[in-house]
Amino acid sequence: MQGARLELVRELYPLDAVYLAAYTSLDRAWVFLESSPAGVVATVRSKRDGVSDDAAAGQLGNEALAQAYRLHLARGGRRVIEAIATRAVAGAAGPPGLDELLDMEIGEATAFDDPLGIAMSWEEKYGKKPAKKGEEEP
Amino acid sequence: MIELRFEETLYDGFAIDEAAKTFEPFATIDREREGGAFILRVTLAESAAADGHAEADVAAELANHALGKTIERRGAAP
Repeated sequence: MQGARLELVRELYPLDAVYLAAYTSLDRAWVFLESSPAGVVATVRSKRDGVSDDAAAGQLGNEALAQAYRLHLARGGRRVIEAIATRAVAGAAGPPGLDELLDMEIGEATAFDDPLGIAMSWEEKYGKKPAKKGEEEP
Repeated sequence: MIELRFEETLYDGFAIDEAAKTFEPFATIDREREGGAFILRVTLAESAAADGHAEADVAAELANHALGKTIERRGAAP
């Protein structure tokens, strides 16, 4: 196919980005893809009167750059999205009901866990702390 | 006659078949698979030429159709 040729280097433009860019250009241009040692060569022929093949190829290049960056951001944000989704699903499950509490296994190892300090006496929790060595009481 | 060479690494075989079938009313299409590529030889039908279609345009539109279907099949389409 005749038209403007545009080489999209693999390191900068993943194949998915090239595909996404080509897909958005199909109504405005004829696009033909071939592989090259560096990546993909797109041959672009404009369908529109008044728009040159070079301009259509440039638009494809711009779109490929935008799609490559969008994919880069999506990959980077995947962990955050997964963490938010996990918390949302866990929150939707609600607090444990009576049946779940009765089914809980309470052994010696877990029976005396008191991370919130509920089982502590007031004196233990808020009482006057003994002075450390070397410190004088006021 | 226009020869289109679709590389297997970039184009899906089913998508190319679908595109070829879609354009059979407008052109005679010979298919071949050779050296890691799907080769289509497109010859414009007389009826399509009489309607004012150009062989190069029909071949290019077929290639666009094959690319669009490939992207949809590979799940990259937005």
